Order: sequence, then C-alpha cells, then structure tokens
Amino acid sequence: MMNIYKAPWFWAWVAAFAAFGATWSLSAGGGGGMALLVAALTFGSFSVLTGLGQMLVITMGPGNTDLSIPATMTLAATLSLKLMNGAGGVWIIAGLLTALLIGVGVGIVNFALIRLLRIPPIIATLSASFLYQSLAIWSNRGLRIKPPQALADFTTGRAVLGIPNLAWLALAITVVFWVILNRARFGRRISAIGQNPRAARLAGVPVASVTAATYVTCAVMAGLTGFLLACFSGGAALNMGAEFLLMSIAVTVIGGSSIAGGNSNVPGIWGGALFMYLIVSMLNSYGLGAGVRLLSTGVIIIAIVAIASGRKARL
Amino acid sequence: MTRKGLMLTAAVMLAGTAAMADTADKKIALSNNYAGNSWRQAMLESWQRVTEKAVADGVVASADAFTTAENQATEQAAQIQNMILQGYDAIVINAASPTALNGAVKEACDAGITVVSFDGIVTEPCAWRVAVDFKAMGKGEIEYLATRLPEGGNLLEIRGLAGVSVDDEIHAGIGEGLAAHPNFKVVGSVNGDWAQDVAQKAVAGILPSLPEIVGVVTQGGDGYGAAQAFAAVGRPMPIIVMGNRQDELKWWAEQRDAAQYETMSTSIAPGVSTLAFWVAQQILDGQEVPKDLTVPFLSVTQDTLDQALKDTPEGGVTSVDYTLDDAKKVIGG
Repeated sequence: MMNIYKAPWFWAWVAAFAAFGATWSLSAGGGGGMALLVAALTFGSFSVLTGLGQMLVITMGPGNTDLSIPATMTLAATLSLKLMNGAGGVWIIAGLLTALLIGVGVGIVNFALIRLLRIPPIIATLSASFLYQSLAIWSNRGLRIKPPQALADFTTGRAVLGIPNLAWLALAITVVFWVILNRARFGRRISAIGQNPRAARLAGVPVASVTAATYVTCAVMAGLTGFLLACFSGGAALNMGAEFLLMSIAVTVIGGSSIAGGNSNVPGIWGGALFMYLIVSMLNSYGLGAGVRLLSTGVIIIAIVAIASGRKARL
Repeated sequence: MTRKGLMLTAAVMLAGTAAMADTADKKIALSNNYAGNSWRQAMLESWQRVTEKAVADGVVASADAFTTAENQATEQAAQIQNMILQGYDAIVINAASPTALNGAVKEACDAGITVVSFDGIVTEPCAWRVAVDFKAMGKGEIEYLATRLPEGGNLLEIRGLAGVSVDDEIHAGIGEGLAAHPNFKVVGSVNGDWAQDVAQKAVAGILPSLPEIVGVVTQGGDGYGAAQAFAAVGRPMPIIVMGNRQDELKWWAEQRDAAQYETMSTSIAPGVSTLAFWVAQQILDGQEVPKDLTVPFLSVTQDTLDQALKDTPEGGVTSVDYTLDDAKKVIGG
C-alpha cells in the first residue's frame, strides 16, 4: 500500500486543483466555479483523448512519439464533415466510421514507414503528417462545413449531472485504456517493449504486431478527437489540431508517465489535461501578457515533473 | 512610352485579344510562407483565378505560386534564391518575417528583379510594400464601439498569435483607441490565434473571472468562437466585432433576425494577393509606383451583411479579386 502522494499522478492533480482554486477566487459570482469546471472538463476532454493515444506510443520506449496527431485530426475531421455535409441519421454513423477508418489508415502508414523503411518514428510521423495535411487541404481547400445539428448538440451538451457529454465519453474511453494497460495482455506487452525491446522479443512478445496496433490505436484516437472537436467548434479548420502536437506529449509527461517509456499512468492524463487548461485560464484571469504566460507555463511544468520524478527516485 | 504601355494593357484587359502588352513576356512568381488556414487558401485561389486570366489574356507570360511547407524564414529565403536562379522578372512575397528575408530580397533586387511584398511585408528598402494599416483597424474597432456605447464599459480583447507583428500592431491600434475613449476599459485579454476553436477555448477559460462585458474587440477569425463561449455560459451577448469569416457573418445574421443584434465586421481581403500582382505588373510595365502602398479594409456593416453573406463561399472568407483599375487607384493614392 503506497502513500497517495507518492503516486505518479498525484502532483498533476494537486497542480490542477491549485490552478482551479486560484482562478475561482477571482470570479465575481458564485456560479463562476461551475462555469470554469465545465469549460475545463470540455476542453480537457480533447487533450485526454489525444493524450491517451500518445501515452501508449510513448510507453513503447525512447524515440517512439507520434507527431502526426494534428494532421490526422485535421484530415479525419475534414473528410468526415464533408461526407456528412450537415445531414443527420445514418450519415452520422458514416461520418464517425470515416474518421475512425482514416485513423486506422494513418496508423498503418505510420507503422509501415517506421518498420519497413526503418525511418525513426519521429521523422516518419512528422514527414507523413505533411502528406495527411496536404490531403486535407486538397480535399476541401479549408472551407468549414457545419456539423450535423444532432452532433453539435451532443458535443456541446451536458445531459447527465451537468457534466459535459464529452467528459463522460472521454471518461469511458479512459477506463477502457486503464483496463487495457493494467489488466490486458496487450498493455503488458507495450510496457515490456518499452522497458527492454530485446528482452521482450526474446520473451516471445510479437513486437511488430504490438507496435502496429499501438500506432493504429493512437491514430484512431486522433481521428476520433478531430471528429469530435470539429463537431464541437462548428466545423473543421486546417489548423485545428496544431496545439495537440505538444499538448498530447505534455499531458502524458505531466501525468507521470515515463518519457523514456515502459511506464504509463492513466489517471495522470486527466490531471495533466485539466491542469494544462486551468493554468492558461488562471494566467489569463490574472491579466498576464502572452510572454509571461508562456514562461510561467513552462516553469510550472518543469517544477511538476521535477517534483513528481524526485518522489519516484526516493522510492 | 509608359502611357502607350498602359493603354495597350488596358486594351488587352478590355478586348481580351492576343495583342501584346509590354509585360507580355514577363514572368511573375508568388512566394508564400503558409497555406494552413482558410484565409490563405482563399488568398491562393484568388491569385490563381486572376493570374490565369491575365496569362490567357497575354498580360504576363506566367504567374506561378509557391508555398513553403514549414512557415520558416530560412526556408522561404532559399525559395526566393531559387526563384532568382529561375529567372523570374518579379517576385511577389507574403513573408514569414519582416526582417529575416531582407538578405534574399536584396539579392533579388541586385539581380534586377522587382520584389513586391504584401500582407506579411519585408522592410528591405529596395522592395515595394502593399501593407495593411492594422493600427487603423484596431483603432476603428474602438471607435465603432464608442458610437454604439457612448457611456463606455468593460471590453474583452482577443489577440492573435503571440509574437507576430500583425498582432502587435492591431493591439497598439486598440490601445490608441482606448486612449481616445477612456470610458472603455479592457478587463481581460486572451490569445485566440485567429482560430475559432482556440478563441472559444481561451474565452471560456477567462469568462468566469470577468465582470459584465459590453464589447469584444478581435483580430478576425475569432469572433464566432467568442460568441460560442458567451452563449455556452448564458451570459448576455456583448457587441463582438467580427472578421469577415462566413461562420461569423452567418451567426451575426441569425442573431440579427432573432434579436436585432448589431455589430460590424472588418478584415483584410485575401484577394490582396491579386492587388500585389497588379502592382508588380505595373512596375514591370515601367510605371512610377511609390514604395509604400496601403490596402483598403474590407468592411461589412449591418446594411451590407446580406450581400456579403451571399458573396462569401460556405465556410470561407469574404474576399474580392482586385483588378488593374483597383491597383491604379491604390498606386495613385
């Protein structure tokens, strides 16, 4: 039984609560806290969904990072919204399937570049992302097509307990990821590869197929996030995924997963995602300029990672 | 000589015959640093539409567009050097940086190439600048709000991408406007990066800590996101200055029909690339053109909203393709 403050995700949650309290204390009315919480859960959900996929990839060890997440989000969102063209019913299913299938396709291409052409993952996913981004530009020239009303209502709605629907969806997917990583053979294999790929291979782990499945999962999560974000914000935009490149990595690391791989942490993703949203809100609310804001964000992230890893080192 | 060239060019424009203008054998290149948003896509489409016709009409020999992949000054400098080697007569630039390309631009000038920068301009003296008075745009927003809200009030400012000169200039203009109208006070400021989803996210985060807001000053591409954030928490809708995006205009029209909502919308038209094209053509034609030109804004008011909405492609940006006559007007001051 370990003390809770020694858990890798503990400090991300502490920081998120602190940022929430600091912002809330400024709000004039009593309702401000609820509005801030709803906003943090809504926008945090997108970071969680991309972060979960990125976490799996990072867990596979040094050098494994998927830099094609932004382009995949844009491509999936652009093509699925174009297909639906605002129509409801069966078209919503078709749109969702399109977004997920694009994720599958992207994951396979990424893996093929890494495995068959032996290109390092960072280079492979970055260069492939130019291809995906160009496809998105070519397919729709950056025009914003409105999502079907039912999807817009769902993604902006708060049907149960006043919590955003997106947050419930992200929570459900998070639970699935927790089970996969901690209870299923697939998750154990990812961790084994991350800890020592050679030992994993010798122990009979099918490294190639596990790697392929991981990159596909990550890209499918990116496709799903792009689809949801476009429905939420009223259409796909060519630069819609830009901030999720670093965000997906940041929430993974702040959440207590090891950047060197082999050790992942699902609850920390939520702490990291909420923190990353709340810290910007907090610094905005205190009226700090963009320069100070970026600087403070960087310093605080370094502090959290340092504190969290310091605790681990003494275990 | 120059007058004859002008008349010939005009004749070509009017008649569309195969008559040769003085610039008929000239090659013009567009060096563009970024294509990843709807404004830039509209800009490239406008360039293609206008230059295709100009080439077909025999006004110029070719007008090719090139975009760098990474939005970086070093990459664009290399691109310009390639254009020098390829022997273009004029290079039209939307620059990644106002200063970092100056070396490459100087090389082009020294090789006898006409360089015209627009939107993202360069400071190198040998180049022409088709610039937007972004300060006036920021100041104009406050002046508009002053006519609507004589008693003043609290404002929210949505800024663009931190570190880009356009953001600083619009912000400075808003500052000038505030100095002239001290009854307005900016109580909150966020960076919306000229993107609806980023603006929505940032505004939703700062709103809980803000008092009542009467107006939102923006930089374009962020008004719809701001409106969504206000609507999501059920706060009274302030006057949000829009930036000519179709989703902004559509939302505005819906609010007008539902609740007599009134605002204004202003931005630089993506078609400014075609204005720069005609300016380059005029310089090649031997015309006297001042080095610093100012582009007019494209503004949409309550009265022109329906027409603008009709003319703007679904999901696009309000634009205008400039003509040779427009360019002459701008050159004439």
